[in-house]
Amino acid sequence: MAHLPSASTPPDDGVTIVNTGCCHDCGGRCVLKAHVKEGRIIRFESDTGPEPQIRACARGRAYRQRLYSPERLKYPLRRVGARGQGRFERIGWDEALDTVADQLKRVKTTYGNAAILFLPGAGNQGILHGPTAPGMMLQAFGGFTRYWGIPSYEGALFASMATYGTIRTGHSRDDLLNSKLIVMWGWNPANTVWDPETSLAVAKARENGARIVAVDPRHTDSVATFAHQWIPIRPGTDAAMLIAMAHVIIAEGLLDRAFIEKYTVGFDAYRDYVLGKSDGVAKTPGWAEPITKVPADVITGLARAYATQKPAALIAGWGPARTAMGEQYSRAANVLCAMTGNIGIPGGYAAGFMRAYSSRETGHLMKKDPGKQIDKSKGIPSANPVENGALPRPDTLYKLSGGTNATSARIHQGRIWDAILRGRAGGYPTDLKMAYIVASNCLNQYPNANRGAEALRSLEFVVVHEQFMTPTARFADIVLPVNTFMERSDIAPPWLGSPYYIYLNQAVAPLHDTKSDLEICRALAPRIDVPADFFNMNDEQILRLFASRRKDIADFDTMQRDGVLKIKLPEPIVAFREQVADPDHHPFPTLSGKIEIACDHLAEMENPRIPAVPQYLGHPEHFDTPLAQKYPLQLLTAHSKVRTHSTLERVPWLQAMEDHGAWIHPVDARARQIENGDAIDIFNDRGRVRTTARVTERIMPGVVNVCQGAWYTPDESGVDVGACANTLTRDEPSPGGAFPMNSALVQVARVSRQPQEDQ
Amino acid sequence: MAASMGIYFDQTRCTGCYTCVVACKDWYDIAAAAVNLMRVSCIERGTFPDLFAAYLASPCYHCAQPPCIAACPAAAITKRAADGIVVVDRDQCVGVDHCPHKCLKACPWNAPQFGPEPNAKMQKCELCLDRLASGRQPVCVDACPMFALDAGPLEALQARYGDGREAEGFKFRKRFNPSAIFKPKTE
Repeated sequence: MAHLPSASTPPDDGVTIVNTGCCHDCGGRCVLKAHVKEGRIIRFESDTGPEPQIRACARGRAYRQRLYSPERLKYPLRRVGARGQGRFERIGWDEALDTVADQLKRVKTTYGNAAILFLPGAGNQGILHGPTAPGMMLQAFGGFTRYWGIPSYEGALFASMATYGTIRTGHSRDDLLNSKLIVMWGWNPANTVWDPETSLAVAKARENGARIVAVDPRHTDSVATFAHQWIPIRPGTDAAMLIAMAHVIIAEGLLDRAFIEKYTVGFDAYRDYVLGKSDGVAKTPGWAEPITKVPADVITGLARAYATQKPAALIAGWGPARTAMGEQYSRAANVLCAMTGNIGIPGGYAAGFMRAYSSRETGHLMKKDPGKQIDKSKGIPSANPVENGALPRPDTLYKLSGGTNATSARIHQGRIWDAILRGRAGGYPTDLKMAYIVASNCLNQYPNANRGAEALRSLEFVVVHEQFMTPTARFADIVLPVNTFMERSDIAPPWLGSPYYIYLNQAVAPLHDTKSDLEICRALAPRIDVPADFFNMNDEQILRLFASRRKDIADFDTMQRDGVLKIKLPEPIVAFREQVADPDHHPFPTLSGKIEIACDHLAEMENPRIPAVPQYLGHPEHFDTPLAQKYPLQLLTAHSKVRTHSTLERVPWLQAMEDHGAWIHPVDARARQIENGDAIDIFNDRGRVRTTARVTERIMPGVVNVCQGAWYTPDESGVDVGACANTLTRDEPSPGGAFPMNSALVQVARVSRQPQEDQ
Repeated sequence: MAASMGIYFDQTRCTGCYTCVVACKDWYDIAAAAVNLMRVSCIERGTFPDLFAAYLASPCYHCAQPPCIAACPAAAITKRAADGIVVVDRDQCVGVDHCPHKCLKACPWNAPQFGPEPNAKMQKCELCLDRLASGRQPVCVDACPMFALDAGPLEALQARYGDGREAEGFKFRKRFNPSAIFKPKTE
């Protein structure tokens, strides 16, 4: 076992405490102290050190049951049945790696590197382990095709770039104490964490006298705990309400005219849209009421409060942007922040992507010079040979740098299955022949899982690095078993924007016959004739190299010993503080140097589906389309508090806390003779899932919620008895790249004793 | 007289995240379901869109006059003189084959817990007395991401947090006099 510099005096005989942490993609990165006895973790504690403590949630505290799960993959596997059938045989590492190497070389020789599809995922979030090393290896092998677009946030990211030219639009959480009003729009930190101190900061802001309003189709734990007022809103209509709020603010003269004048461009165009001068429709609260199901007076009240109770923080969650036209909601939220002058001041908030402390770029201190953008219209430079020089994709913000995925060599993640099935003939940049999948349960987590299964079946070869036999791993030809972050050392930067690092000291030796992703690359690189220089450094050397590039890690050894580095900030992070305080010397990193209420870069696209000012736009699966006659309920696919996406899915302690099931309102349940606890089917043209009805007042009528992440498990008749939300979701992204995970229409039916007669 | 230990729960902060429940399970290595020394329940009222929801964390409240002690036919449960912590001697407990969960039936808050094993003997929250003895807080208190839990001498808790004795889902029983202080959630 590796040297453990963090060992401290044990409280009991034979127990060593190893300072480590938890770093899945839950919205946190948290401190865990592993109590190790005779090479085995017997229990955990979390942060008991100096404030602010970074306390792990139930997911991290349950980690022993994941680490020591009997379902862990123990040795390399080779498929023996049909692909996806889940039948495998044990093979040795040499045979597994030789097979992968042979396939990589064959595909490269036969079809070229672009035929290799690399699907990295967020299953592990350390800076070293996970997809980092495989990506570097495949790049050195001549490159690969990969996706653009991240389901969590692509709509919010696009809107943030279009409006502000950056994703660093957030404040550190301590600044919430300066807010008089906090609007939690589709934002549920009690379940989705949003950095570990966030829920505590919201609670303290409330105790400090802030008024808190929540806009959400569900009465979530965050609504229940923090909100003074709950405004349920019909999914996919958030932009309409935000635009109607803008109407109130304009009509009643509640604008911050000085701010608009000094810091923004394009307000007049937005005003004309809002007031109806450009299309004849005044976007009043009365206009928005039947769309949103929010009473007009409630919209008016929130608009007045937001414009007058300054400073006010409009925190625009990512969930409402995971819709068919998601970037319009995010843009409308950003613009509302600008119209009211709530940007760049303590207690305000700019919405946007909401990164605050950016470890990767040593953060908010980095400045961009819009005058030094390179011309990417003739081709985009990339370290990946397959992408290098490819032209910008249409509908991209390619003139901006940072946060955009402009190259036309990439395929939107939501269209990966379609691209595999249709390739060049379908208008995609390449024909895909093999998939190299690392830390990604993509079959489960990309939209339209049934189509995903069809696509994975069609490939010539699939290799998966995994810890468990996930729905994706079942479709592999070769499964390479990977260890967890308790079995290796790593550094976890904060998830979104808190000023700290977690150093994950290896707590126990790797279990079974598993390796890290990096060790796999060390063994695979020479087999595919890739120079192994990087891979021959040991883990700690690489971690020291990575850390040396970050100005905020001054003392590696102390961070390693303590397992955490907490960075003291002289004052709370306030996005755009400099731009607002001293605009002459600090332009916004947009092309105009100002906040772009109307964005010329968007106008140039000449695409009515991605207008220069934010608009409320429908789509073919909206509540008001003909399809709603057949499938009258709107599906939400929220995050579960007992999983991290599809990770931690089979942990008994967590499973016992909350059943997987579908939230449905009593009115909708009654109409279908459904009682709480009944088995129900939720279905549309893409698929059918079977789960348990959770009949509750805490969801608005007309809406059903199935938490995403449960494992796709089709039975012989094709019914997904695991009830993976993505069996039902659309795989058609918005022009800005938003994933329509919350834009599916469905029907629900009680499962009768003879399910086949139910139809 | 020695201090009587009690527990504080800030119901206004609890988001129902179950971290206390899982931390307790992990610390004492207790399997899923069955035995829950700490429990979190959800209280919901109202009809859409006028709703109220709160969570209640329920360890043992270490009553001044514990009904479980009075109910136990084997004198297996005692209240420690030194600190008032209610503990069970599992060697003394006769098990569920010989006693129909009398302690559990007597407790309004389900603190006595029984596993699925044959002739299961009672287990309960003992306020992590080993951790207290080594100067640490109970594991649930140290785990709560919302800092909604505290433990200490009842008088000290009252001095610090006031004397709220009821909360949503928790009715004060004068004759048991639970050693619990609450900041209750109100509509």
